Amino acid sequence: MITAKGLYKRYRKTVAVNHLSFDVRPGVVTGFLGPNGSGKSTTMRLMLGLDHGEGQTLFDGEAFTDIRRPMNKVGTLLEAKPFHPTRSARNHLRMLASANGVGDKRVDEVMELVGLGSVKRKKPKGYSLGMAQRLGLAQALLGDPRILLLDEPTNGLDPHGIHWMRDMLKHLASEGRTIFVSSHLLSEMQLMADELVVIGRGHMIFNGDVDQFVRDFTQSTVIVRSPSAEGFTAALEGAGAEVAKGKDGELIVSGMEIGAVGHLAFTENVELSELSTRSASLEEAFMSATGSSEEFIAAEPIAPATKTGGSANA
Amino acid sequence: MLDALRFEWMRLTTLRSTYWLVGIGLLAAAAIPVIFGLTATDEDLIPEFVALAVNGGASFGIPFLAVFMAVIGIFATGHEYRHGTIQPTLTALPQRSRLILAKILVVSAATIAVTAVSMAINAGVVLVFFGEVPGLFDDPVRSALLGYMIYTLIYTLVGLGLGLLFRGVPSALVVIFLMPLIIENVIVGLSSIPTLDWLVPLVKFLPFTAGTLLMSVGPADMGMGTDFDFFDRWGSGAVFAGFAAVIIAAAWTLFKKRDA
Repeated sequence: MITAKGLYKRYRKTVAVNHLSFDVRPGVVTGFLGPNGSGKSTTMRLMLGLDHGEGQTLFDGEAFTDIRRPMNKVGTLLEAKPFHPTRSARNHLRMLASANGVGDKRVDEVMELVGLGSVKRKKPKGYSLGMAQRLGLAQALLGDPRILLLDEPTNGLDPHGIHWMRDMLKHLASEGRTIFVSSHLLSEMQLMADELVVIGRGHMIFNGDVDQFVRDFTQSTVIVRSPSAEGFTAALEGAGAEVAKGKDGELIVSGMEIGAVGHLAFTENVELSELSTRSASLEEAFMSATGSSEEFIAAEPIAPATKTGGSANA
Repeated sequence: MLDALRFEWMRLTTLRSTYWLVGIGLLAAAAIPVIFGLTATDEDLIPEFVALAVNGGASFGIPFLAVFMAVIGIFATGHEYRHGTIQPTLTALPQRSRLILAKILVVSAATIAVTAVSMAINAGVVLVFFGEVPGLFDDPVRSALLGYMIYTLIYTLVGLGLGLLFRGVPSALVVIFLMPLIIENVIVGLSSIPTLDWLVPLVKFLPFTAGTLLMSVGPADMGMGTDFDFFDRWGSGAVFAGFAAVIIAAAWTLFKKRDA
């Protein structure tokens, strides 16, 4: 169990993390979402005492800096390539293990577990980003900890690697461990996370389960297709619904439950060829929730120039 | 604390650069008595000559071993930032003061051991070429060589402190080479100009200059006839040690306050 209370961090005039409080429960994967620059990494560093700020984070009741041999309790992966380029991957892990009473046998075990057994004596300067992430996960798992804190662990992984990481984290959570993982891959979070902590510009936007997040931050709509769409539109609007026309001629009804739409069609004697609801994806919910709190906003792409008549011969 | 010492020992011994630097340092220091042996076999083995041969030319102003060990000191802290390993290090060992103390103890122990080995090799070279190493265990050579060991140790600790203070390798390297080789030499040189003679009383407080007096066999003379009124061997050593202590204290304090 992780309990974070009142986390706050300011860099001169910028508040990076603004009084964040949340709990991360064991047995589930908790996703940590936010746009770039929203303060996810800073929050994790604050939690581990790497950055100095206000607030307190307890890992099963203990502050990280008070834990003796912390890798046996809390495993972390923060940066993609935090190792000396010429120290072998195995020696990198042996070095960290030596500070935590973890033996060489476990080092070899975790390297096999993450699929780096065959390259464990190689220097990590030749590792791809994906291999580096695997080494980072091996580092996090060294002490067989009950709590894992992972910052963007799927960065640089290929689809197979992402699938592997997702299964690994879900498996670890199913063993009753506490998993707190940040990611900007929303589709990944949808597949991986059971609960979410969503922040924007250091502020808490949402803390709860994934389905609740989607419900809270998206408007569920009802899709209607009918040969008498125009007449039915008037009836729907008369009953208080908002109706928009889709690009294929379907009606997109909001502000009315699917049952009420069906009942109205029945009482109005309107034939329907489709009556369904459309749930928003986590991505749509995320855009809706954090749209106003993005730190770095890119300009809209410039529309391609319209081709005028004639041909441009070189 | 034992965990921290184990960690630091593992960190030091799993870096290839450690072995290169120690090896080159030992060879460079041993080259001086070898050159003496090849070119100056007719020289009388006076205490100054013996001390100079055994300390590998350090008392003549070329502290090879101290410089290479200082680079190891810089790497002990600077590498952590250069390669971003400070994050895994502090998540493996979050007690910052314990980490720094372990670094100081392990690097110091390694420096003392390597310096002792270097002196043994150099004494062996003198023995091979000259057939004897007179007065090795008697004063003034004994004190001069003990001073050499302390000089190398302090030099290394200055490197360790600078690496931590600058949180990187290049700036620390620049300072540790620039300060003794250029800045202090320039100040000593300028002090001989009559209008800048107010610099004379300051020379004995120049840390690296004062540090060389740890290795002196006879009275200190900077070769320009100026009396700088230097402290004695241990007083000058205290100036150098005080400088290292200030650097390390500042770096340690900032390390505890700064974000990793």
